Amino acid sequence: MAEKKTVKNKRYFDFSLLFITMFIIAFGLVMVYSASSYDAALSFDGDSTYYLRRQIYSVIAGCALMAVTMFFPYKLYKKFYWVGILFSAFMILLIIPLGYEANDAKRWIRFGSLSIQPAEICKPAAIIFVSTLLAKMSPKVREKWKGFWFPMVPVGILCLMVLIITKNLSSAIIIGGIGLLIVWIGAKKNIWPPIATLAMLLFALSIVMFLKFGKVPDGLGFRLERVLAWLDPEKYYEGKGYQILQSLYGIGSGGIFGKHLGKSMQKMGFLSEAKNDMIFSVICEELGLVGGFSVIAMYVLLLWKIRDVSLYCKDYFGNLLITGIFAHIAIQVVMNIAVATNIMPNTGVSLPFISYGGSSLMILMAEMGIVFNIGRYAKFAEEEPDDEEETPEAD
Amino acid sequence: MDKDGRKAIKKAAARKYSKVTANRLGVFFVVILLAFVGLGVRLFFITRENNDEYTQRILSQSVYNSQPIPARRGDIIDANGTVLAASVENYNLILDTAQILKADESTENHEFAIQTVKAISDLYGLDANEIRKYMDDNPESHYKILKKGVTVEEKARFTVLQDKARAAKASGDYSDTIYQYLTGITFEKYYVRNYPQGSLACDTIGFSRSVGQASYGLEEYYNDILTGTSGRKYGFLSDENNSEVTTIPAVDGNTIILTLDANVQMMVENRIREYAEEYKDNARPGWGANNVGCIVMRADSGEILAMASFPNYDLNDPTDVSILYTDADVARMEEEGTLRDAYDALWKNFCIADTYEPGSVMKPFTVAMGLETGKISGNETYNCTGSLTIADHEIHCHNIYGDGLLNVQGAVAQSCNVALMYMSQAIGRDIFLRYQNIFNLGLKTNIDLAGEARTAELVFTKETLGESELATSSFGQGFNVTMIQMAAGYAALVNGGYYYEPHVVSKILSSGGTVVDNIEPRLIKQVVSDSTSKKILQYCNAVVDEGTGWRAKPAGYKIGGKTGTAETLPRGNGEYVVSFISHAPADDPKIICYVVIDRPNVSVQEDAKYATILSKQILTDILPYLGIPMTEELTEEDKQELSEMDLSILTNREGYRKDEAGNGEANAPDPTIDFDAADTQAEEGDHIP
Repeated sequence: MAEKKTVKNKRYFDFSLLFITMFIIAFGLVMVYSASSYDAALSFDGDSTYYLRRQIYSVIAGCALMAVTMFFPYKLYKKFYWVGILFSAFMILLIIPLGYEANDAKRWIRFGSLSIQPAEICKPAAIIFVSTLLAKMSPKVREKWKGFWFPMVPVGILCLMVLIITKNLSSAIIIGGIGLLIVWIGAKKNIWPPIATLAMLLFALSIVMFLKFGKVPDGLGFRLERVLAWLDPEKYYEGKGYQILQSLYGIGSGGIFGKHLGKSMQKMGFLSEAKNDMIFSVICEELGLVGGFSVIAMYVLLLWKIRDVSLYCKDYFGNLLITGIFAHIAIQVVMNIAVATNIMPNTGVSLPFISYGGSSLMILMAEMGIVFNIGRYAKFAEEEPDDEEETPEAD
Repeated sequence: MDKDGRKAIKKAAARKYSKVTANRLGVFFVVILLAFVGLGVRLFFITRENNDEYTQRILSQSVYNSQPIPARRGDIIDANGTVLAASVENYNLILDTAQILKADESTENHEFAIQTVKAISDLYGLDANEIRKYMDDNPESHYKILKKGVTVEEKARFTVLQDKARAAKASGDYSDTIYQYLTGITFEKYYVRNYPQGSLACDTIGFSRSVGQASYGLEEYYNDILTGTSGRKYGFLSDENNSEVTTIPAVDGNTIILTLDANVQMMVENRIREYAEEYKDNARPGWGANNVGCIVMRADSGEILAMASFPNYDLNDPTDVSILYTDADVARMEEEGTLRDAYDALWKNFCIADTYEPGSVMKPFTVAMGLETGKISGNETYNCTGSLTIADHEIHCHNIYGDGLLNVQGAVAQSCNVALMYMSQAIGRDIFLRYQNIFNLGLKTNIDLAGEARTAELVFTKETLGESELATSSFGQGFNVTMIQMAAGYAALVNGGYYYEPHVVSKILSSGGTVVDNIEPRLIKQVVSDSTSKKILQYCNAVVDEGTGWRAKPAGYKIGGKTGTAETLPRGNGEYVVSFISHAPADDPKIICYVVIDRPNVSVQEDAKYATILSKQILTDILPYLGIPMTEELTEEDKQELSEMDLSILTNREGYRKDEAGNGEANAPDPTIDFDAADTQAEEGDHIP
């Protein structure tokens, strides 16, 4: 008992990970201010700090949320895994009567001055749901077909709801991608995640090839025009290609060291969503290649430290959660930068911890809290006296 | 197994899978790392490849306000300094409603609005109520054109008023003005093209009716040189969100100085018009001919002194086609969609754009070929019986009774087709085709005017030149030429064989008056030897002395030339193109004058006298003016004739002086020009219908 207590006092806490997280968030505040001040001053009668203030409130709320998840034993999520996914599904359905529209799509629910994006809540819900189901399965089932469809079908339904109700393809891709990656990484011999991934990639590729070389049908939907604009942004300059080109102009004009902080010209009304989805372009314009590479390096460091936690964690469920959170951040960073540099079609993906947007930031900070919590139990688990002695790895 | 054991195994399994997951997450981390490397490379290339281009694009789209500063189109000035085309400064009167209303925030009873509107409505005859209504309806408007075509003086009136109001406000002394509150009025400069001489040399000059665009003639050919580069005034947001203004000044267009002499041009045009009027409605309704063209050029440099044709049009109002059509005709053509063709027919330059069969004017060229290649010596004698049968075709001489025995000189002087056909047989197809090329027939002369016709398909080739074609070609039937080709070629025949590229512009000046380019006479080639040229000169002089061109001799001068009477297609329709090409003085040609009358309005068109008489009148006017001394004794008859002839040289000089006086204020606006007719340079896209 006494031994246990001393060990408990020495609980592992990754301060460097906390530092990196807070550093990225602080950097994000600076960039949000830079990118939004012009727009805010125009929209809110000279109040250039409007968006910055709102983002600071989100950071404060996010810190509170992170503190909660940091101390909430993560194993308890296993018991209430269905709560999250049902709640998020409910929230998405709530959009139908309560949602309000922006940019031709209903994505937010408003409570007074607070607006929530239910698609963001789906992400941690999906992480917990898939992780729990996988952890509860016997290893043999896990490697089979059932190990794939059993967690993935509910997640798939959630994705479809997000896609159909909120018309938010990127969030659907992220939620589905998180689930897929958890199964892929967590269930070693399950062949279905790579097959499913390959199938979807082929599907996407065939659409692109069709649009590129085939005859483009008239009356294209909202989504397909984005793909066309991606293939040839100059041609669709008046439409969907505009934002992409403005982003490229920003990145290209930044040069190596950029125009210096606060001196972006693109944020002055040319780059829509400058504070949000396209903030990476503003970073590159103001801080240049050096700034862009530094941001990428910060994410590399962050992901590296998250993965580090998984090395210490001896709990399968905990590692699945870490995998999901890792996937969430990694997918969003890669997609966001890929969109900003026109490697993939323009879908609204925010840059984790940096982009303006309360829902996303708070959810991500809560997820980081979960990682810290897993870390706290990691050392504890290793020192647990009733642990079995190390069994040599069979494979 | 007991419960503890099962739990332990489960735990072990969890640990094992936990480790596997962590390892696989490590692999995924590497994958993500590679993705980041890929993104980094992409970033690097975007920056490296497009830095400058994208910086430019951002700058260009960051401009929030840019105003063009018009460049002044360069003038067109004749050899004596007479302005033929000039750009006149004009202004649009712009009302900035928002500025006035803002200024009125500090006044009690809208003094700025009341006084400003009163001032401009008084000065420019505008309806004050209408303006006030516009201001009430559009309180945020910054730009409303209240009046177009405000002249420099009209603009100055408001400026003076404004200065007085400002001074009064500063000193508190309002004795000088009733106005204290004037603001929100700006004047936007633009240029209007004005042609002070009206229709003079219209075909040669061409016209420009919108900025940077010009049609026909010099205006089109030298459009790039004349246009200049418009400047721009940029307003943009600086780093601190301050607006800044940068001005890129306009570069005014260059002025071109012509070899063309407005006096000669006017003499020629007057004579042509006289002819056209004299034979008006003679044998058929309409002017004295379908077209009358005349080129006067220097024989030894290719410089054009005059290039005129009739019917002509007013450069200040090119769509006025009343010279040819009634309003009803215009309405009908507009309906039929043929109005544009009618415009084109009127606007194009007959002297370079119309092709026709030259007729006997070709004969000196044919003779020169024979002499130059030794196929004929000049001592041959031919017997003309009125016709010659070639390849089963009986080809007639114009004198169907036959000219009898003729030497070469006689053949040219009497314009004998049969003799020329014999010569062409001696010359042969190959030499004919070679010399056709040497004389630039079928090729453009590259005169510096827009719209020169291409005649490559209108001359014979090795495949199409048969025996009978060669025979008719010898006297200028069967192939087509332009007037400028014949004039340039004939000049070479009589000036010693030197073929000069004909040109109209002698000098290009910058807007500041410095010489940008001096265009020297351009010698292209020697087409015949000096001795051949001498012989041709002798034969052509005989045409006037003893041959078909006798009527062309102006009193006091000895000239040479060659008549032409070409039957048009279809043959036998009785329609002819009659022409006379001449050089003066006879023995040392300085001037080439080529007159072409396309289907003279007479019942029997087959007579070159219409062209020779017109040539004589023109030469009588221009030779003294050009300082070419008389060499012949004036007979009583000549004196009589000179005094009877309406010496346009005298009357026109007077008329011209009047114009010159008008030129003194060439930059002043011409009140007769209807600016509201929208032919203003400031307006883009104002095309000719």
